[in-house]
Amino acid sequence: MKTFVEVDHVDRVFDIPNGGKYIALKNIELKIRQGEFISLLGHSGCGKSTLLNIIAGLDKATVGGVTLEGREVKEPGPDRMVVFQNYSLLPWLTVRENIALAVDEVFKDKPKGERRSIVEEHIDMVGLRHAAKKRPSELSGGMKQRVAIARALAIRPKLLLLDEPFGALDALTRGSLQEQLMKICNQHNVTCVMVTHDVDEALFLSDRIVMLTNGPEAHIGQILEVPIPRPRQRLEVVNHPSYYRLRNEMIYFLNQQKLLKKRKAAQIPASTLTVSGTLEKIHLEIGFMPLTDAAPLIVAKEKGFFANYGLETVILNRADNWTEIATGVAAGKLDAAQMLAGMPLALTLGAGGKTPIPVVNALNLSRNSNAITLSKKLYSEGVRTPEKLKATIKAYPDRILTLGIAHPTAMQNLILRYWLAAGGIDPDRDISLAVIPPTQMVKQLKAGIIDGYCAGEPWNYLAVRENAGFVAATALEIWPGQPKKVLGVREDWAQKHPKTYVALVKALLEACKYCDDLRNREEIVELICRPQYLDIDPACVRPGFIAPYDRGDGMPPQNLTTYHQFYLHQTNCPNRTELLWMVTQMARWGLVPFPKNWVEVIERVCRTDVFGAAARDLGLLDIEQDDPIHLFDGKVFNPSQPIEYLQSLEIKRQIRIEEVFI
Amino acid sequence: MQIINQTHSQTKSNQLQTQKAENFLEIKGVSKIYPTSDGPYTVLEEVNLQVREGEFVCIIGHSGCGKSTLLNMVSGLNKPTEGVICLQGQPIAEPGPERMMVFQNYCLLPWLSVFDNVYLAVDSVFPKKTQAQKRAIVKEHLAMVGLAEAADKKPHQISGGMKQRVAIARALAIRPQVLILDEPFGALDAITKEELQEELLQIWCNHQVTVLMITHDIDEALFLADTIVMMTNGPAAKIGEVLKIPFSRPRNRRRIMEDPQYYDLRNYALDFLYRRCPHSEE
Repeated sequence: MKTFVEVDHVDRVFDIPNGGKYIALKNIELKIRQGEFISLLGHSGCGKSTLLNIIAGLDKATVGGVTLEGREVKEPGPDRMVVFQNYSLLPWLTVRENIALAVDEVFKDKPKGERRSIVEEHIDMVGLRHAAKKRPSELSGGMKQRVAIARALAIRPKLLLLDEPFGALDALTRGSLQEQLMKICNQHNVTCVMVTHDVDEALFLSDRIVMLTNGPEAHIGQILEVPIPRPRQRLEVVNHPSYYRLRNEMIYFLNQQKLLKKRKAAQIPASTLTVSGTLEKIHLEIGFMPLTDAAPLIVAKEKGFFANYGLETVILNRADNWTEIATGVAAGKLDAAQMLAGMPLALTLGAGGKTPIPVVNALNLSRNSNAITLSKKLYSEGVRTPEKLKATIKAYPDRILTLGIAHPTAMQNLILRYWLAAGGIDPDRDISLAVIPPTQMVKQLKAGIIDGYCAGEPWNYLAVRENAGFVAATALEIWPGQPKKVLGVREDWAQKHPKTYVALVKALLEACKYCDDLRNREEIVELICRPQYLDIDPACVRPGFIAPYDRGDGMPPQNLTTYHQFYLHQTNCPNRTELLWMVTQMARWGLVPFPKNWVEVIERVCRTDVFGAAARDLGLLDIEQDDPIHLFDGKVFNPSQPIEYLQSLEIKRQIRIEEVFI
Repeated sequence: MQIINQTHSQTKSNQLQTQKAENFLEIKGVSKIYPTSDGPYTVLEEVNLQVREGEFVCIIGHSGCGKSTLLNMVSGLNKPTEGVICLQGQPIAEPGPERMMVFQNYCLLPWLSVFDNVYLAVDSVFPKKTQAQKRAIVKEHLAMVGLAEAADKKPHQISGGMKQRVAIARALAIRPQVLILDEPFGALDAITKEELQEELLQIWCNHQVTVLMITHDIDEALFLADTIVMMTNGPAAKIGEVLKIPFSRPRNRRRIMEDPQYYDLRNYALDFLYRRCPHSEE
């Protein structure tokens, strides 16, 4: 797709009288093709007009910017014309004079006759020849808007921007004007961006509908492609098989936003929280599992980052398994915990038939550092890839292989299943999966109870060291940058302790940054191996963390610099696309129904607002990655069409699509 | 034998009741003609409509089709040139408190508080009630539209949605038999509009009031109405078609929209308004 207009990571922040900031738009990223018709849809106050004004050059982005044909938009110009709801015609000029005024101003260098013919051409274009001598007061609302459109088009803009152009007209008068606008746009190949809150208008006119979430921190929630062929006829489009499906999807989106708006109204916006003031709670209990990537928590405590941000005592509670972590947070025994990346979602959705408990994520603590370990026996049978594994399974039909996972909601479970399915292995039918605490993995592999597992470190390297297995694939090969651990807190805890939450995220964010400075790694190894934390020989932790990583496959040890990723490459910002992918995978394997209200679910779990408030306070980048998912099999995930994606997967369980009430 | 007789008499009384209710509001052969310098101008021609007691009727049509003229005649603000409009058999000759009108632009007195705006209406219709009784009526109706806490605010201090709630509370406080709404939610944003539609249905249901409402919004009409009256274009506009809306009550917006009938009805109405009676602006 050749980009004509790019809205490049735009933020718009307003100062408010009490000295605070209001973040109207957050991280808007949009590429528009030449000749495309885009609608911006959202509830009032979602910042859609602000965005349009930024594209027009009437307003400036606080962060990021807009380019038109590769050149930055800095001010209003005749290449971008705006049509407003209130027409903005000069009342003392006739229709012809109103249009001529603009043409004469922009085409000063053209001969008079040519300017005159441009004016007449555009009067005809909108069918106002009979009214050319009338003044605005003699025209109906619809006619006035046609003059405004003719005036905008007469100066041949590259981009036509429309701000609720038909909003002042009644629903029935709009129809014929929409038809005229569309005809003109098609004939002249005009690129359009239109703000509207009318779903039928958006569907009728657009190639793509960009739906914005509510402010503050409004962002693109979903983009709908409208596959209805052109030219379109008003009465025919409603009979197109996808019309009412798309319309319902838009209405559903708007309704979800309505619910979120009501809920948000009861909350304090995160962006106003960092302005000093005492913390609600300064003694915290945080759960963790003894894994290498618990490093940020341990560092934050041992290096005094918690204390620096006013969290006077933080007790790190070591858990034996992930269920303990999940129930600790769910029951309110823990203020927060290091969680598996999918855990906040699973708890919020009530995976496994449990009561949904909303748990939120404002910080990713680590990425990668997962691997698939298989037994030496499978190695000797030549297994290296999932395809080879499938061949072995076929060759020994009586043998049922068992693979271990730490927890159903672990990224490892999703990744292992994905890896197997990509090789044609049904993880529920062709093999057996068992939930085993990570600390038991090596022991069971050695004893021949399991034939492999997917786990975090140091458990893969330990199998290599004990000569029980080899690493068939690391996270870096399956999906480099995959989320691993996150900070999970209950949503009601977050609401009750908004300032504490931001302070906690700040302390851990600093710790994450500290952990990714390789100069600190020696020190960190010493810290995390202490008896109260991992309680392990540092030699087990070093490979992949600080020393070359031996996969036990006969190859020389590799330097995996990003195998343990704590901060670099936008590690920390929770990412909606990633969360949505995880939901699709959980639904794929029947762990949860796919939530029909997925936009709402993701918005609630993914607290980029809290992350942003913390990151900005530390002077760090406060946005998520645009395109985070790159799986080894190359399958594309379009976050606007998760259900289509799910349906396109071959090996899967029966997919249930249900509304999840949380 | 006795049982059969009983059933028979019940059916008979039901029939009687239904009959009475069917003719609650009758528009019979109504035309409206204005004299102009170019000769007589017919706005409405030969309009006939029967409204049941407690029915919710939406009237839809392009601007200029005479919808407002028709409702103004029901409210008594205007008189038919030909024909007659009867409420419970009595011809309507002038405005009266049994028929209350709510306009799109709220029509609140800006110098009076929300409470006093409603009180003014109650006071003029129920002059014999005590002050305490009248205040109780006002309070009850403000609470009904969720405005108990905004009672002391002036109109300029409240949102458009709230103003329209005041107007509805004021109309209902004088216990009309017919509530006439002239595009009441046209000026409101989508969220507020949906909220008010739901509130209106709730109130309609609790008060058993008969509603005539003008709208341009097909979805609004489909959600609210028992009957949608679609008007042809003027001059000489008439009733083009009457759609009966079969969705059961109480209605749930989402469930209705998931009903395949919804789209058939919607497309049918669209077809009427855009193909069979398209609007020509000039």
